[in-house]
Amino acid sequence: MNLSNGTEFVESLSSKFTNLENTFDTLKIKVQPEEWVDTAAKLKEEFNLTYFSWLSAIDWENEVSVGDPPKEPVSPHFEIVFCLSDSIEGNVVLVSTEIEKEDAAIQSLVDVFAGSNWHEREAYEMFGINFINHPNLTKMYLPDDYEGNPMLKSFELISREVKPWPGEVDVEGMPEDGTKESS
Amino acid sequence: MLRVCQKTVQRKVVKVDDILNAGNIPYVSEASVSVEIETEDMTLNIGPQHPSTHGVLRLVAKVDGEKISSVEPVLGYMHRGYEKLAEVRTYPQITTLVNRIDWVSGFANEIPFIAATEKLMDIEAPERAQHIRLILTEMARIASHFVFNGAYALEIGALTPIFLAMEDRERILDLIESVTGGRFHPNFNRIGGVKPAAGSGPTTKKNIQDLPAGFYQETRDAMEKVLEAVERMEDLVGGNEVFKVRTKGVGIITKDLAEEYGVSGPILRASGVKFDLRTQTDFLPYDKFDFQIPVGENGDCYDRWYVRLLEMRESAKIILQAIDSMPSGPLQTKVPKVIKVPKGQSYVRTENPKGEMGYYVISEGGLGPYRLKIRTPSFSNISILPVLLEGQLLPDLIAIMGSLDFVLGDVDR
Repeated sequence: MNLSNGTEFVESLSSKFTNLENTFDTLKIKVQPEEWVDTAAKLKEEFNLTYFSWLSAIDWENEVSVGDPPKEPVSPHFEIVFCLSDSIEGNVVLVSTEIEKEDAAIQSLVDVFAGSNWHEREAYEMFGINFINHPNLTKMYLPDDYEGNPMLKSFELISREVKPWPGEVDVEGMPEDGTKESS
Repeated sequence: MLRVCQKTVQRKVVKVDDILNAGNIPYVSEASVSVEIETEDMTLNIGPQHPSTHGVLRLVAKVDGEKISSVEPVLGYMHRGYEKLAEVRTYPQITTLVNRIDWVSGFANEIPFIAATEKLMDIEAPERAQHIRLILTEMARIASHFVFNGAYALEIGALTPIFLAMEDRERILDLIESVTGGRFHPNFNRIGGVKPAAGSGPTTKKNIQDLPAGFYQETRDAMEKVLEAVERMEDLVGGNEVFKVRTKGVGIITKDLAEEYGVSGPILRASGVKFDLRTQTDFLPYDKFDFQIPVGENGDCYDRWYVRLLEMRESAKIILQAIDSMPSGPLQTKVPKVIKVPKGQSYVRTENPKGEMGYYVISEGGLGPYRLKIRTPSFSNISILPVLLEGQLLPDLIAIMGSLDFVLGDVDR
């Protein structure tokens, strides 16, 4: 059951956008980087998606220093995603595009949705993506002299290096088992 | 209408002629912000340790007399990097993390993450577990709004309501504690259901699977008290002339501005948009209950306060209905012992007490997510501050900031 996106809305979207995924109640449009700003403007004006929810990025990489790598090999790239919604029926759409990691840059959405300002600053500092025409592309959270982009998959989590997880196995048995497995 | 406090005039910090010439200043308060008002274009550092910043937000304000010409919020004092930490944790471990995002309503943070994971695993929590989740979410909403009600009145200058509100909130926290074992960080949701309740008898397998004894009656009593407290708060705070003057017509957020900045929750509804994600969830049974969605008209500070107050009443009504129609059955659906989430992407959002809370879970089939994007309401809600505060009076800054009801853990993550 999907209460957020009505079938009419999905159909009208699929008539305008060819690359549409609808899995796990999540509607995702894939566009080319050149269409990035136009898509946002089109969705805002034609589909009444006036509510800007968020913008962020994903670092697709085979060699990771934190967590698990993707199951199947991927071509290393950044995926940038933004989320729009309307404020009447609750239709919600994700728009995504793929850009090269080398000199990663994309047009800023600030002219269409002023609210993307802070989200783009966050993506800039966490992933090192340059947002062209952004009015104030500075660090959001981290100190000014901080080096590196923490959300990159190549960025090591130092505390994990110092003390790997899980540490010593310390699982206790259930009381009724009568056994105690703790070390 | 020009109101100038006598005390302010005596301090010779504001000249009446200046105020008239500056125009569009209806009211000058005597809020004691220690600043040389005669200085032009000075930079005023507010925070990060200011009580009205609800944590550690720093504002760098450029002021011209008492008028704010620009504001630049500086974030990051509470940044804990949860999105990165989530990448090295398993799914069951992440609920512990997300509890601490918005610590005033810890339980409500867990729901969208659990729901997104359950969607990816294609499982659904049993009906009884869904009811318990709904009741605790609404309790978290009431607790959060109590804090707002008390703290906001305090920021405006009324000392009494915070004591009353904290006392009332304590009843709600006691109830949450009796079920979950935690007052602020319940960590009660499990993928596929909820944890067997704490305090429900000896930990033998037969007895642990239920709510604590006397929970229904205690909840009914507490909700009656909440309804009384709302009534009292409406009189005590809403009926106060000073409060009205400080908040009515101050910090108006229009519908278009709010939507463009992704402002959600009670703030958006105070601006006249009837948008509540509770009507659009399929994983919590809100459709079974009868409740109103309070909507404001002017989008000013007073409306934002009033919408939250009315929401508490509606939440109490929902809880009372949910208690009466509590289904029986198991608390957990069958899940594998080691939780592996199939490959897929899901974005699930719910109505947190502060607005739209969403998790975009990207699973690559492992024990933990490949990437977890956390969309928090307070981050978007305060991103409007530079626009909203420009041209406002300095004493109104506190009134406006307070009315946004943000928590810094929710902003910085």
